[in-house]
Amino acid sequence: MLGVVIRIVGDRGIAEDIIHDAFVSIWNKAHTFDAQRGSGKTWIFSVTRHLALNHVRTRHREVTVDDDTAERLDAERSQEAATDTQDHFDWLGHGELDRCLGQLAPERRNCLFHAYVDGFSHQEIAARLDRPLGTVKAWIKRSLAALRECLS
Amino acid sequence: MTDHLEPLSPLGPDETDDLAGEYVLGTLSAERRDAVEHRLAHDAALRTAVWSWESRLQPYTALAEPVEPTPHLWQRIERSLDHQDGPVSTLPADRSPSRNTLWERLWDSVTVWRGVSFASVLAVAGLAAMLALAPSSAPSSRYLVVLMTPQHTQAGWVVEASSSQQLSLIPVGTFEVPPGKALEFWTKADDWSGPVSLGLVQPGESQQLSLKNLPPLEDNQLFELTLEDATGSPLDRPTGPIQFIGRAVEL
Repeated sequence: MLGVVIRIVGDRGIAEDIIHDAFVSIWNKAHTFDAQRGSGKTWIFSVTRHLALNHVRTRHREVTVDDDTAERLDAERSQEAATDTQDHFDWLGHGELDRCLGQLAPERRNCLFHAYVDGFSHQEIAARLDRPLGTVKAWIKRSLAALRECLS
Repeated sequence: MTDHLEPLSPLGPDETDDLAGEYVLGTLSAERRDAVEHRLAHDAALRTAVWSWESRLQPYTALAEPVEPTPHLWQRIERSLDHQDGPVSTLPADRSPSRNTLWERLWDSVTVWRGVSFASVLAVAGLAAMLALAPSSAPSSRYLVVLMTPQHTQAGWVVEASSSQQLSLIPVGTFEVPPGKALEFWTKADDWSGPVSLGLVQPGESQQLSLKNLPPLEDNQLFELTLEDATGSPLDRPTGPIQFIGRAVEL
């Protein structure tokens, strides 16, 4: 659990604060009835990850670039960059989503895992992959739709 | 894609699922995350979509390398739980204004508290004392398990492992055991051939258990409570239906 949070917030001290807050929150809310909750394990991870994500998104709120800046950055990033065929994550063999994830191109899987595991924003993923912001946003949206279709 | 989410704008099924997926992935801005979290309170379809994505993606949290917490972290959590349990443990007769508010809020929440006995509330409070008395120099491997009904509709118990060989089973709701029956507690690690009984459990009562005859507790270890005959399962495995189930999460 601590490793998951450190990966998102990038700081051990802050991560320990978040684990502390998450566990106290889970403890206090365990008795509340919620028919829409996943398994207990999923719930523990969910509460903790979202505290971590709220922390990094709130901290970066002020540096969110406006649309003009985003367009300029996009123009600087090559639309013709070589397609990245390498997976950045050793994702196979972890869950039931494997089969559907396997149908996505590696670059699109990389987008999903840089978001889910690293807690990267759209902009951070665009910078990491050297792809335009709009492309990354569209890839993620389409990947989620493809996963939904594959699962149905 | 707009950067702002109208709080009450209706969403189609695909829009709901897209929004839920991006929320769980973590790509939304602080403003949109905030809007989703407010919307979750009254949008059942969005809630269902979020939990579906949470359940599908959760196994991939394993892609982050594990990091060993310092013993100090668990001590902090113990101290906080110690303080948190105070108001709930206070009987209604002993009311300060703030306790009054909390107590009444809990009491009025009928769906939450229907059938919850005072005994179980007091038993939860008993955790505070147990945690305070626990040795503070224990190793740093700590585990938390939330045991839910098999349909994930309600949490019934929390297991808190203060070390890999000692655990506390604490009720967070009540369970009516039919006459002639009993609740039996089981555990199974991923590579064990079958579950091992940890004994019978009294509903509404906290229990401390030693695992000293078992291998150390491990991540993802399964815990379950099954309904058995009053003397427990006649076999070395569960024979009755599962009432509560959950897996260990390592701190």
